[in-house]
Amino acid sequence: MAASTAARLKDQSPAMTDEEYAKFCEFFYRKSGIQFQAGKKYFVERRIADRIEKTGAESFRDYFTMVRFQTTGEELQLLVNAMTVNETYFFREDYQFDALVDAILPEIARTKRPKEPIRIWSIPCSSGEEPYSIAISILERWSQADTWDIEISASDIDSKILHAARTGMFSERSLSRVSAPLRSKYFIPRPDGNFQICDELRESIDFSLVNVIDSLQTHRFRNIDVIFCRNLLIYFDDVGRRETVEMFFDALGPGGFVCLGHSESMSRMSSIFLPRKFGETIVYQKPLSVE
Amino acid sequence: MLTTAETPVRDLAALLDDLSAAEPSVRRAAARDLAAHPEAAMPACDRLEIEASPSVRAVLLTTLIHLQSPAVAVRLAAHLRSEDVPLRNAAIEALQEMPDAIAPHLQDLLADEDSDVRIFAVNILGALRHAQAPEWLAEVVRSDPHINVCAAAVDALAEIGSLETLIDLENLRRRYDGNAFMEFAIDAAMRRIEGQ
Repeated sequence: MAASTAARLKDQSPAMTDEEYAKFCEFFYRKSGIQFQAGKKYFVERRIADRIEKTGAESFRDYFTMVRFQTTGEELQLLVNAMTVNETYFFREDYQFDALVDAILPEIARTKRPKEPIRIWSIPCSSGEEPYSIAISILERWSQADTWDIEISASDIDSKILHAARTGMFSERSLSRVSAPLRSKYFIPRPDGNFQICDELRESIDFSLVNVIDSLQTHRFRNIDVIFCRNLLIYFDDVGRRETVEMFFDALGPGGFVCLGHSESMSRMSSIFLPRKFGETIVYQKPLSVE
Repeated sequence: MLTTAETPVRDLAALLDDLSAAEPSVRRAAARDLAAHPEAAMPACDRLEIEASPSVRAVLLTTLIHLQSPAVAVRLAAHLRSEDVPLRNAAIEALQEMPDAIAPHLQDLLADEDSDVRIFAVNILGALRHAQAPEWLAEVVRSDPHINVCAAAVDALAEIGSLETLIDLENLRRRYDGNAFMEFAIDAAMRRIEGQ
């Protein structure tokens, strides 16, 4: 059974040469911002084989031609969806949280008036790991945390996942990067082996259902200082990306920052933000003075 | 619950007034909401010609992508002659997003007497989701007399060229025999197309 399945899957491989693979990766990176290294060839081939089968294309070359030249871009979008993996956990891409507490928040604090809130928006927040990681990072590592009124908003388009985020129940796997001291400080072990985040943190985050492309829903987000929008825009087409980052521009206060996923780059979406390098990460800043 | 209600459409006349407001955020909001008004395409093109704020320009271009038509594409293509480099690049990026609208005008751009305009047209073609793009680039390689235009087309063909274009690249290599840069660029493009 297992052997026949393996054989069938092997037969579905699109038989790409290394040069075709390189060409595909370059194209896919240009369109989606997602980079695949040589070691990912099997992963990529399997997903392309699946799309070839579903579209009825004759070969990789035929399929690649369709992806590149289909006017609607629909197949490219389906391919992007197939290539992305929805996975989140606490302190994912934590170098951005390092940048937040080591550089971004101190810079924001220098330009804030006392008692003026610092606003952070996590979108999409999925099941809550990102906004809770932000909150814990600030509480644990920013020396000025008690000095400022920090508002963390977290939004997602999926009401079920948002309910899970509000409930704050997480598996052992989700907490794999959370140290024992932080677990005992912020999480309550449950009999089923899961961990629930403490009430104080759950109540400190304003969760809301938001569709990022609905201006009615995003309009209330204004004067935000930092937006975390990681691994969302890779699902959008070029126009959708443009519209979303332009919405962020209006949602941010002067000098506000956007943090994207590690494989995403603003330069392919818009030139109205300034790239800033903090440690190992590049974030994007709305100019302090907008003409 | 996510709302299923349609976003209310703001009045066109009010939006056009806002398009010349002093505050860029008001102009951005107006430019964005104009996307709901197909008849606003030409006024948006007019505004783009005088708009100085990069952020408002960006939103105007996104709206024009939504309102795309051959007439819009012609207006945007006029910016290929602009000395304003950010605006010119932004126009190229916007035109790459409207393949059906720019396609009828591309032959004119590729025949323009200004070689810079032809290079920009090739840049558009290189990222255009249009089935004819490789053939139009091959035609550039066959017939354009300017080496820089041909070099831009070779670059683009390296990404989207097919085996049928190899003969044109071979002929181009002969045309520029002894030119080290062109030989290198053409050989690299041919290797890529052949999948070596």
